[in-house]
Parts: sequence; structure tokens; C-alpha cells
Amino acid sequence: MSTMSWRILKVVALVLVLGGFYGLAVYKHAEREAIRQAPVVLTEACAEKLSRYGLAAGPVYRSPYMLQRTGLAPAMAGYSEEDVRAIQRGCNIIDDTQGRLASDKASERWNAPRFIRGTHASCNQCHQGVGDKQDADGNRLKGSLSLGASWVMADMYDRFTGLLLPFELRQMQCYINSSNGYKPNIADDLIRDVTAYTRFLSAALGLQIGTSYEEQGVDEIPASFTGKQGDDYIRGEALYKEKCQHCHGPQGHGVEVAGRLIGPAVAGPNAWNMQSRNYFYYVATILPGFICRNMPLGAENTLSNQDCRDIAYFISNLPRPAGDKQGPLVALQQQALMRIMPPLLRWSEAVMERTAQPAPQAPVAAR
Amino acid sequence: MSSLAAIERQRQAFVRDWPQTSGNLLVGLTLALVTLPQAVAFSVTLAGVPPHFGIYAAIWGVLFCAMLNPSRVFHGGPNTAMSATIGVTLLPVAPPFGAEYMGYALTLCLLCGLIQMMFYVIRPLGRMLDLVSEPVINGMICGIGLFLIFKSLTTFGGLPVNTEVEWPLWIAWQSLLAVLEIGNLHAIQIGLVTLVTCFAVQQVPRMRNWAILVGIAAGTLYSQYIEANLGTQVSLIEKIGNLSSIGFVLPSIPLFSQEAMPDIIAILPGAVTLALLGLFQTVAAMRRMNRKAGGYTDSRKAIFSDATSNCLLPFLSSMPTCASFNRMWLVHRLGGHSRLAIVSSAIWLLVLVLFLAQVIAVIPMPAMAAVIMLLGANMINWEDIKPHFKDRREAIVFTVSFLSVLFLDLFGAVIVGSVLAVAYAKWEQAHPNISLAGNVLKIRGNLYYGSLPVIEAMYHRAIANEGSVVIDFSECFYIDQEGIRWLRAAKEAQRAALADRRRNDERRGFERRAAVDGTRRSGRRRGKKDRRIRSEF
Repeated sequence: MSTMSWRILKVVALVLVLGGFYGLAVYKHAEREAIRQAPVVLTEACAEKLSRYGLAAGPVYRSPYMLQRTGLAPAMAGYSEEDVRAIQRGCNIIDDTQGRLASDKASERWNAPRFIRGTHASCNQCHQGVGDKQDADGNRLKGSLSLGASWVMADMYDRFTGLLLPFELRQMQCYINSSNGYKPNIADDLIRDVTAYTRFLSAALGLQIGTSYEEQGVDEIPASFTGKQGDDYIRGEALYKEKCQHCHGPQGHGVEVAGRLIGPAVAGPNAWNMQSRNYFYYVATILPGFICRNMPLGAENTLSNQDCRDIAYFISNLPRPAGDKQGPLVALQQQALMRIMPPLLRWSEAVMERTAQPAPQAPVAAR
Repeated sequence: MSSLAAIERQRQAFVRDWPQTSGNLLVGLTLALVTLPQAVAFSVTLAGVPPHFGIYAAIWGVLFCAMLNPSRVFHGGPNTAMSATIGVTLLPVAPPFGAEYMGYALTLCLLCGLIQMMFYVIRPLGRMLDLVSEPVINGMICGIGLFLIFKSLTTFGGLPVNTEVEWPLWIAWQSLLAVLEIGNLHAIQIGLVTLVTCFAVQQVPRMRNWAILVGIAAGTLYSQYIEANLGTQVSLIEKIGNLSSIGFVLPSIPLFSQEAMPDIIAILPGAVTLALLGLFQTVAAMRRMNRKAGGYTDSRKAIFSDATSNCLLPFLSSMPTCASFNRMWLVHRLGGHSRLAIVSSAIWLLVLVLFLAQVIAVIPMPAMAAVIMLLGANMINWEDIKPHFKDRREAIVFTVSFLSVLFLDLFGAVIVGSVLAVAYAKWEQAHPNISLAGNVLKIRGNLYYGSLPVIEAMYHRAIANEGSVVIDFSECFYIDQEGIRWLRAAKEAQRAALADRRRNDERRGFERRAAVDGTRRSGRRRGKKDRRIRSEF
């Protein structure tokens, strides 16, 4: 009898534990549902963008951008209240992935920082202009990684693996490589809302499904687009110090002032990892292309192809996190490098400055 | 007349053994039902090949292994770690599910079989596999058990599986949060119903073997009920799906064209990993489960059966096979210690796939995930772990290999655990028990290059104090060439006398070895007695 009651007790205990688990799941689901129904507080950039594109619930959507550009705005399927909120949340996630501007990160950004290692990475850093970079006249820019143009090529064959990548999996690659993080589940609201926003962008810009636009992706720069001098680390370092260091910091670790991110890390613990296609040794054409078309902010397209390749080459030689597929040893080595190199470099630079001879200015002045 | 009597005797024997036979058949059916979702999941989500690869491995792989391996507990078939290795190896070579990819998968399997055959032909290579000690194996088993629970979480919650190579523990945590936050509540309900039913039925001793079947039936019925009430559009429950296109046998040929050669060379390291991974698991699992069941099978037979199976399977559109810890555990727990149970599981699966595909099709995946989670939980058995915590070294080896499964992978766990176990054994041998009484230096243990420095220290201290010393190595088990040279040098220096107080017949083999230095003698030519003594450590 005692063994029997012990067994019954075990079953009851299991039922209680699993019941608690189910109760917690129901509670969490209700919490999510409440967030889905709650009105969205837009970031400044998103408020501007979405109002310019006339996002509102209704049976029909007509794009003000198309009307302005072409004089025609065909009627498209409209959005429900729920759709509008999803698009707004998606825009917020692109603009402020880490939730620096949000009052409650967990609810307003669907826990996006959970899937990112480091505190810098945000979608907006590569997909500038909240995924839709334009010049003052409203022209979309070549090689600006436009999300709207990306959506119309939604399911792409990956050039390197030959896999057919659905749009959701392409977002996951951003999380695991560009932000050196983890994949959210494909069914997560985080992925769904960003997809909703990118779909809206393609509708607002009047982009056609299956068409390749020049603002999609990076305008890649292979070595053959240069004078074929080879990629020059020393020149890259000099250029970096001149053009990039101001925002990205002396060793590419990013600049943060009083909690505000001035420039994101391009190396070190907060940067993209060695498995990312931004990494020069993995794909040598993408980072130079990004730099030429999108950097420095406000002075885009001013660097020569050779400059961009040299800077990209220099940046990729700075220590950065290893990718997940590279195993624990490489990861350990990179972690050690990232932590040992910066103080060593600072020290050696300080020594060099101290021991440097003063510039021979007096004789020049006398002459 | 006599033949009729013989038939009658057979009939009586059959009737007498029927309870046992039917029990084994039931174990076989349970095993088939547990293998099925694993076969589908491993081939599609891990290896990147169509589901029939896994199912044929679960049919033909299991059958070949059962026929070639005399162990009563051995269950082959598709394996998590091997499937994942196939995916990781082939992903850079060709797009998954394509004809080329499948060809390479078959080639990989054949290469793996050939490499495993080398382990059979070259004896010392096969002997290396025995260096995996019991704490390492138990650590791995517990790690795999936990890993199975983690791995099933997303399917349990009705979510798509995350397949990327990431830190497994982190994935587990993320999956748990995802199930809680965005999981399909209907799927979770089905999983919970299955779990509770299985567990409750397990508590009834007479129904124990039926637990998994009853659990799956309950889960399936509940999912049918939900669908009837809400419709598939709302319930969105994933099911095994129709496998009726899979036939009796599907012949195939591995890809060995001239154009494929560079890629085949590129996947060779993957083939070596696959072969080792399979053999380690096979040898370890078989030894562990044989001991639990109170039997013994030579590990060389298991290596031969694995190697032969893996050489044949690529010609039958199948993934490679190796021992499965979780299914062997299931066989043990269900008490099916007979090869009939194993063989019948393959035949049951074939029958299920051929004739009952429509019925299998409606079994919901969350119910399957619940069963796999229960299997994982059953693999973590405190009674087996407890002895390892009585000794600090074993505890450390166990913990390290357990954690390695979770932090590295299965292969990493085997390597880390074994290296640690061997290092501990060597460390032990390198510190023989030395005592100095007067000028007698007594050595108990091994006299070899590793222990010499320790002995030398004591020896020189004795010389400094006493002027001369008697080295008593009566209780030495083993002296290597370096030890012999050192003893001779000590004797020639005229500071030391050597003493051996064993009887003549005891030390014959020992002396002969000590007397002949410079020439290596193989173990086969030594005296029998000597081998017995050596084998004690």
C-alpha cells in the first residue's frame, strides 16, 4: 500500500509540476497578447518615416511616396489595426534594436537584446535610414542594404551554400553573424514584425516582387575594381585613423558617451563575428562595398575603391569574436586577443608618443 | 511419425515460451514506435537528407547489426550525433536534399564503414576504443539524456527546430523561453497529456511495457479530439505525415565520379569523425549495457558488425548506423534482453511503414517529443551515477565528460573524458608506493620512465644518508627499459644491491624480462603468469 501511495504521489507531483509549467505558459502567452494589442510608442525616425509613407489602418493603402515620385498611387490591400501595430513595432526594432530608447525593452522590442551578444549591434547600423536610406531628394541609394528591396527578393538562393533561404532565415543570419548572437525562433514576433515592416516598405516604395534593385544588398567591390595594388594594411590603418577613428574609436571598439552610442564597434567584443560576410577573410568584397557607399556618414561615396578595401582589410585584422562554427578553441583565442590587445596597444602607443622626437619645426621657420 | 512428434515438441516449446516471446515482440513494437520519429527527425533536421534515409537505417541498419552482433541488448539505427556530423560535413559541399548531396551522404557512409573496418583489421586501433572508462560513459549518457530533453523542447511546444550549430545549453534556455512565450498551446497540451499518461502507466508494474504505446495513443486521441473541435487551421499541430511512398527497399549507389573526387577528399576528415563517433558510442554503449544486463560481448564483434553494416547501408539509401544509448536503455528498462526484440523492432517498423502508414501519419509530433523527453529523463539514473561520487577522481572524470557533452559535443566529451581518465591512471602509476626502512628502499607499483624521478629522489636521499642502499622490487608489477637501465646503472655504481624476495616460480617471467634488455618482446611470447600479473593494472 505504501509503494502504491508513493507511486500515486509521484504522479500527482508530476501533474502539479507540469500543470505549473502549463500555467506559466498560459500567463506568458497572455502577456505577449497584451503587448500585441497595446499601442506602440514610435521612435523619432520611425514616426517620421511611417507618417511620410502614410501608414494607417484602412481597407486600401495608397503610397504618398509613389504619388510624389510618379504621380500615380495604385490602390493596394490595406492594413488592419493589428497590422499597423506590427509594422510600427518592426520599425522600432530596426531603428533601435537594443531598446536604448524604449522605456521597457522586453515588451517594446520583443526581447531583441536576448539574441545579440554585446551592446552595440542594431539593424539600423547596416540598414541605414531605418532600412530605407534616401538622399535629400528622396532617391534611394545604390548599395544601401534597403530592406524594402530585400523583401521583394524574399526567398533567395544563398550564393555561398546554394540553400534556398526564406526571408526569416535571412534575418536569422543577421542575428547569428552580424550581431554575433543567437537565432530567435522562426515563429517569434521579433521576426514576424520585422518582416511586416519590410513588406510595408516595399509596398510604400512601389517595388515589384522578384525584381533586383540596385539599393538591395551591398555594392560589392572586388579587387578588380581597384588599381590592383593589393590590399594595404598600413594604408588602411592610416585611413582608419583619419576617417573612422573619430566615431568608431582607436581600436574599433566603438565610442559610447554617457550611455549614448556615438559609433558602433567594428572590432572587439561588440562587433560582428568571423563567420559574418562582413569579415574580409570570409568574403572580401562586401565590407569594402558597404564602406564606399555608406561611410563616413554624411560624406558617402567620397572614398575610392582602393581606400575602402584597405580600410576593410585593416578592420578585419583587428580581433573580433569567433563564429559559432569555428569551435571553442578559436573562440577562446579571439576572446583572449580582444582583451589583451587593446591595453597592449594603448601602452605601446603611449610609449611611442613619449619617446617620439619633437618635430623639427624651428629650422623650417628660420629658413 | 517422428517428424510429427518433433513438430508437436516445437509447438509445445512455442506455447511454453509464448509469454516471453510476446513480451519481446511488444518491446520490439515500442522500440519501432520510438525509433520512427527519431529516424525522421534525425535525417530531415540534422543530416539534411529525406526521411527515408533515417527509416531505412532504422530498418536495415538495426537488422544488420542484430544479425552480426551477438549482444542481446545492442540496438543500432540512426543516431543524433552521427546525423548532425553528416549535416555539418556536407553542408559546405552541396545543397541539402539535392541528388548530389544524397550521393555524397552515401559516399560518406561508405567511407565511414571502410574506416571502421580498419579498426577491426588493425587490432591495436580497436583496442584504443576500450580506453573510454565507465565514468566517461555514464557522464556521456547523462549528458545525452539531458540533451535529448533540450532537443525535444521546441517540437514539444509545436515550434520549428533551431538547427544552427550553437551553444547547446543556450539553445535549450532559448527554446524553453520560446515554448513558454510563443509555443502552440494545443501542442503543449498534447505533449503534457502524453507525458502524464506515460508516467502514470509506468507506475503500474503490470502495464510498464505498454507505457509508451499507451502514452502515444492518448496523445494521438487528444490531438484528434482537438482537431475535430477546432479544425487543423486553428490547432496547427504537426504530425509525422504520410510515409506511404517508402517501399520495401530502395537500392542506391554512392557517388564516386571523377568530378566528385575533390569534394570526396574534402569530406574525408568528416568520414573519420563519423567513424570514430560511431565506434566510440557503439563500444561504450554495448559495454555499459552488457554489464547492466549481466552479459559480455567482445567489442571487436561490435566493431565488425558496425563496419559491415555501414559498408552495406549506402547501397540501400540509408544513413550510417551505430549503437543508440537511449534505445538500448529503453530495451533494458522494458526487460527485453533478447535479439528477438531487436530484430522484431526492425520488422515491426517495416510493417508499420508498408501497411500502416496512414495510421502513423496522424501521430502528433509533440507526443513523440514527450516520449523522447521521458526517455532522456530515464537515462539520468541516480543509482548508476552514485558510485562515481564515492571516489574523487571518478567524480571529476564523470562531471567533466557530462559537462563536455553539454558544452562541447559528444566527440569532445569522449576525448576530454578519456584523456582525463588516462591521465589519472598514469598519474597514479607515476607515484608508486615507496618506503625507506633503514637502507632498504622498497618499491610497490611500477618502475618506469614516469615513476623513476620519484624513486630517484628517494634513492639519492637514502644514498646520502646511508652510503648504500638495497632496492627491493619484489612488489614491482612492471619495469620498462628505462627502469632496467637505471637499475643496472645503480648496480654498476656499486652503491646499490637489488633484492627480489619472490619465490622462483613467481618471478621467473619477471627476471627473464629484467635480464634481457634492449630487445623488445611481444606480449604473446611472455609466460602466461606474467601476463596475468600485468593485466591487473
